[in-house]
Amino acid sequence: MKISYNWLKEFVPIDLPIEEFCQKLTMYGIEVENIIHFGDEYENIVVGKIVSVKPHPKSDHLSVCLVDVGENKPLSVICGAPNVKENQNVPLAKIGAMLGDFKIKKAKLRGIESYGVICSEKELGISDDHSGIMVLEGEYNAGTPFAEVLKIDDYVIDVEITPNRPDLLGMIGIAREVAVMLDTKYTTPKIEFNPDMSGKQLTSELLSVEIDDPELCPRYCGRLIKNITVKPSPGWVQTRLKAVGLRPINNIVDITNYILMEYGHPLHAFDYENISENKIIVRRAKDGEKIELLDEQIYTLSSQNLVIADNEKPVALAGIMGGVNSSILSTTKDIVLECACFNPKNIRATSLSLNLESDSSYRFERGMDPNRLEEVIDRTAQLIQLTAGGEICKGIVDVYPKKILPKKVFLRTQRVNHILDTKLQPYTIKSYLLKFEFTIFEKGENFEVTIPTFRPDLEREIDIIEEIARCYGYKNIHSKFSLPRIEDRQKRETIRKIRSHLVNLGFFEVCNLSFASPDVFDKLNLPKDDYRRNIIELANPLGEQFSILRTTLIPDLFSNVALNLSHKLEHFKLFELNNVYFKNENNLPSEQVSLTGVIVGDFVPKYWNSKSQLSSFFDVKGILESLFKILHCTHYISFKKSDEPFYITGQSSDVLLNDVKIGSYGILKKDVLSNFEIKAHAIIFDINVSTLLSHIPHEEIYYKEVIKFPPVLRDIAIIVPQGISVAEIETTINSFNPEIIKNVSLFDVYKGSQIRENHRSLAFSITFQSDKSTLTDKYIDKLFDKIVKKLLKKYKIELRHR
Amino acid sequence: MKEEIQTLRQKALEEIPICKNLKELESLRIKFLGRKSKLSSLLGQIGQLSKEQRPIIGDLLNQTKREIENQISERKDALLLETQKKKIVKQELDISFPGRPIEIGAKHPLFKIWEEIEDIFISLGFEIAEGPEIETEYYNFDALNTPEWHPARNLSDTFYLKNGMLLRTETSPVQIRVMEKYKPPIRIIAPGRCYRNDKPDASHSPVFHQFEALVVDVGITFADLKGTLDSFVKRLFGDKTHSRFRPHFFPFTEPSAEIDILCINCNGKGCKLCKNTGWLEMGGAGMVDPEVLKQVNYDSEKYTGFAFGLGIDRITMLRYGIHDIRILFKNDLRFLQQFV
Repeated sequence: MKISYNWLKEFVPIDLPIEEFCQKLTMYGIEVENIIHFGDEYENIVVGKIVSVKPHPKSDHLSVCLVDVGENKPLSVICGAPNVKENQNVPLAKIGAMLGDFKIKKAKLRGIESYGVICSEKELGISDDHSGIMVLEGEYNAGTPFAEVLKIDDYVIDVEITPNRPDLLGMIGIAREVAVMLDTKYTTPKIEFNPDMSGKQLTSELLSVEIDDPELCPRYCGRLIKNITVKPSPGWVQTRLKAVGLRPINNIVDITNYILMEYGHPLHAFDYENISENKIIVRRAKDGEKIELLDEQIYTLSSQNLVIADNEKPVALAGIMGGVNSSILSTTKDIVLECACFNPKNIRATSLSLNLESDSSYRFERGMDPNRLEEVIDRTAQLIQLTAGGEICKGIVDVYPKKILPKKVFLRTQRVNHILDTKLQPYTIKSYLLKFEFTIFEKGENFEVTIPTFRPDLEREIDIIEEIARCYGYKNIHSKFSLPRIEDRQKRETIRKIRSHLVNLGFFEVCNLSFASPDVFDKLNLPKDDYRRNIIELANPLGEQFSILRTTLIPDLFSNVALNLSHKLEHFKLFELNNVYFKNENNLPSEQVSLTGVIVGDFVPKYWNSKSQLSSFFDVKGILESLFKILHCTHYISFKKSDEPFYITGQSSDVLLNDVKIGSYGILKKDVLSNFEIKAHAIIFDINVSTLLSHIPHEEIYYKEVIKFPPVLRDIAIIVPQGISVAEIETTINSFNPEIIKNVSLFDVYKGSQIRENHRSLAFSITFQSDKSTLTDKYIDKLFDKIVKKLLKKYKIELRHR
Repeated sequence: MKEEIQTLRQKALEEIPICKNLKELESLRIKFLGRKSKLSSLLGQIGQLSKEQRPIIGDLLNQTKREIENQISERKDALLLETQKKKIVKQELDISFPGRPIEIGAKHPLFKIWEEIEDIFISLGFEIAEGPEIETEYYNFDALNTPEWHPARNLSDTFYLKNGMLLRTETSPVQIRVMEKYKPPIRIIAPGRCYRNDKPDASHSPVFHQFEALVVDVGITFADLKGTLDSFVKRLFGDKTHSRFRPHFFPFTEPSAEIDILCINCNGKGCKLCKNTGWLEMGGAGMVDPEVLKQVNYDSEKYTGFAFGLGIDRITMLRYGIHDIRILFKNDLRFLQQFV
């Protein structure tokens, strides 16, 4: 709903900057969605004084006007309106102004340039009048902003009213809430009729009302105003309606809309002349009964729908929309004002079944206060008399078969504090309750609360507690269940990821005890100063074999391999993920998570249509690379030759993360294996997960737009001297244009009679792709040539073919 | 002419259905319907017939032509179907061949259970904490209110290191470390490796695994302890079991209790697993001793808490029916392969 700040301030004093006020509203439960400065739409529209009007030399209906807009020079503007005259004050839309969705630009009309538009009322969105330009009455300085002329310097606050609060669907309702929020008072309009124009007749003599189904219409009030004049509303009414997003129509309709926004209560006005036998009957429609409503659609009704009817015909769909047959026309003299209350469920059902919604149904289906109808209808009559004249007949016809009484709820102070974890005293609670216009009856420290009928959302004790909480302020309630963050989630999740990944790749997890024998280091060929000899010794071990804490998982894993080989198992994969322990002088020893894996025998098992494959160095490398992929650190990983003494020289590699060694892998030396009584082919990897965790960059998955342009593949084969690594060449190619070169991959290696000694032929596939355009062959050819040249120059390679 | 047509028709209807393949069928089509066919030449001769004969013979010729065409198209469909069938038979797979083996490993059963326990407690709103396995006497004994004379401090019970430190005998020291570092509310479990100087046998291992649970806040009671523990064992072992508490002594809890659960094997009737008692011993529990809270500078009047410790190896063995704890650490693939 849109709130006009000026309108609201008529009922409640607000002495706050608009932003602060809106912030408070939001925190109070009325969420502000948007604030607009009303009048911005008239930016660059100013008062212009017409200096001269000359006919356009090439047109018989256009004029060329010089218009003073308070600038150095008058503007030349072409105008097609018949009523344009010298010395008029007119609204002029300068270049840059917006008229609706249309932006004013410099234009040339039949050879003459025009620097703006003199506007009609329709172009300005003020009325539907497009017969000529709008002529401003009164004295204005040329250049005065048009918004000032309209007196529309206002803020429009767009708020979300939750469906439980129908009482907030008007300015007065909001004012009442704001008064509680700002701890102030709000006022309501003073209602009085012009005594000179009071009708002498009684409404009850001229109009009768009958409610057939009080269940669907608990109350109906009618008033009669005679001899009104239907015409456009005065500017102040129009401005307000436009501010809150309603279109002015005529004074009668506008005033009912004005009240809709002021009190939040929908009203309807009928042409008295078209109410047959002066009788209004609120009844269920007959099945199949038809009515044409103000949206010019004909609706077929059923007995589930409620209508307002006279003796002959339905004249309105109750609470939703009026009928055409009784609508206010320019000739209407006497009107019947309807102010009623309808059953929310029935209005909702009808609105749904007819697929028809209106500002009126929106309110009635949320529940309107039945006990304020006299005030609303009198206020309406007052404003109609003010804008349309007429005589207000005496009294109201008020049919209210069964008065709806306010609900009573028992509120316990202890319960309030129990729910909110507050220590509110009864007197504080009492002061809050009074702010909300509840009638209270104190019973010890508890209250019997009578809830006004404008708050249908409050039915139970807990509903009242919510009001108290809002009043107290959510931010003032302390927060209790706030757990400190203790766990190292990244560590736990990484360990689980590694474990699951290896299991899915066919590894079995083992779990060994923490103890080790001091002779394992010699068996691994470790030099005397190796960091793994930095051991912690037990004072009372179970035996020499268990006398130290292990610093590597490799020996235990080897024992596991030996055991399983002895069971005639030849091909298997094992890993262990457990702590190792290093001495740390003067401090607690360092406990680090280690990951060690081993592949024994074949990597690819025998199968009826393919041969088995002995596990290779690159099988393990692939496994590690896949692991780094799921840990999102591939780009930070590099490999270099390892000098770990238990691997065969030249068949092992260290693994580095951001240049820090985190482990190694490689093919084991025969003598090391035999030290552990293993007679099989075995490859291991050994990663320090703790080091990995402390150096791993934090990288979240973030979706990148899929590239819509096709990739282009090119192959290149080069003869390279031994010693230049594949990784080096790949990096060189990639670094040429990383934006476009998406992938470089080795797909063939050849060493043979055709290739010089100490050389090899490497074939790479390069993928080019741009996320900005389709790459042309010409472009790629050029880039490809550059790459080849650079490779030739840098590595003295030979191009084999391309 | 009629007879000629009849003979032609007869011949076609005999030859077409027995032709063997599409090639033969095509030559038959040319023979009977082609430009140089008998039928074509007969059609060409219609003009020479009498006015009365013309429509009769014309009709007959057209009808025959259509009949032959239909016959050919039917045969064509039949032949196509036959070829297709043959192809299918030829390409048929012996679906009983074994599929390509995708090797799948398994987590160690102990870690399977470890992760499951963590997940249950995470769902109950706990965080997973950890502490060092190598501890000082202070954290392992003193801060936990263990009296000087307590036998747990003996060399025969605890592994000591040459540097004077020790291998923690339970996960309880994590309680102290967490409470030293964080203010309540605390709600953690701390799973981890523990050590006792036991000779390995079917039910003892010098290295074993435990998890500690610790909850400290305003208003935490013995009833919270019972409810939390019961919620856990029901999630772990199913709704048929439940826990009971027997008074016991632990230095760092007061009141202390030993926890039993209704035997998951016999539901309390008595069996070999529960040694006919109907109950399985699970671990220790109790309300955190105010002395322990004072030790970490918590206001022991304001805050209360509970703690319990259960064996992960013990739970693993119960869950999988493992009778000897040593099997867990032997790493025999014939054992490990059962946990795929």
